[in-house]
Amino acid sequence: MMGRAWRAWSHWRRSRPFWGGLLVLVGAAEILVTEVVPLRVILHLGPEGIAGYLLPIVMLVCGFLLWFNPEQRLFYSILSVLLSLGTWVTSNLGGFILGMVLGVVGSSLAFGWQVPKRTTEKSVPH
Amino acid sequence: MADGNPPMDEGRIRWRRAGAMLAAAAAAGAVLVVLTAQGILAAQFAISGVPFTVTSTRLDGTGFEQFGFFDSMTPNSPNASNCLGAATANQGNCGGTVLVAVSAIKSATLSDLCQSVNLGGTNLKITAGGGGRPVQATTLVVDSDLLTGDATFNNIAIGQDASTFTEVPGVTGPPGDFGQQADSVTITNLRQDNFATTAAAFSLPGLTLTFSDTGC
Repeated sequence: MMGRAWRAWSHWRRSRPFWGGLLVLVGAAEILVTEVVPLRVILHLGPEGIAGYLLPIVMLVCGFLLWFNPEQRLFYSILSVLLSLGTWVTSNLGGFILGMVLGVVGSSLAFGWQVPKRTTEKSVPH
Repeated sequence: MADGNPPMDEGRIRWRRAGAMLAAAAAAGAVLVVLTAQGILAAQFAISGVPFTVTSTRLDGTGFEQFGFFDSMTPNSPNASNCLGAATANQGNCGGTVLVAVSAIKSATLSDLCQSVNLGGTNLKITAGGGGRPVQATTLVVDSDLLTGDATFNNIAIGQDASTFTEVPGVTGPPGDFGQQADSVTITNLRQDNFATTAAAFSLPGLTLTFSDTGC
């Protein structure tokens, strides 16, 4: 049973840009953490503060989409690399660099992830 | 995988392809850092809730407002009783609310800016604005529990109701709140212990970001 579950997990992992998506998720979460986690004080956010949250949240969405819609990984990875770079300007210097670097590396890994081309058979006809 | 798409084949990372993207992104990132360091690009800080210290040898601002305010903690906040990080003078005011002075400046220049955040064990320290290239900030709004320095105000109105302030667009206090506003302000040897801040835009010429044992 365990081996079966592990194999299913391995297949799930290998059939999508898992590590790229994971790094994007961790990076986005880290940026959000630098902005919200202590939460000791309720703050009034001006319009300038919105982008600071918006970019890492969209990054987070990109990370999940890389996992659950890997067919469109090219679009998501390019979007999340731009968002990661954007957080330098909008969100605590990209979560004090760390989150930005994780997002950029993760997006690049997802961008580089490819399924080998099948030359022999494409699909079995019914 | 119940999304209706055919199951993906297993794939792998093409390192050359990933590396090309990474190189392009690293180049773009380097440009951003350099532009920020030269003060062309304004970086936004939204450090919320973490107390941090800001010092500057000279602050010149146009459009100044200041009023007292209570910042509320989240309900059942674990910090409500111990007031971790608040200045000593504020220890008596803990228990869910903290008395702060809100200072708002419409447009400010700061020389030799130093900002440090205590991360527990180490300090993240950002310095900028040295060598005659001051830091520029717009709509700077800080909630401080300690503010020291030598201040000069122009056209100051002390005791005005904070809800009627006009010097900084979009920033007013609650009705009936004591406050003061001025057309311009100059503070030398500024030191602030900021309990919290709302977002503010800075351009940071000569940016240095280091981890340091000592704060500002």
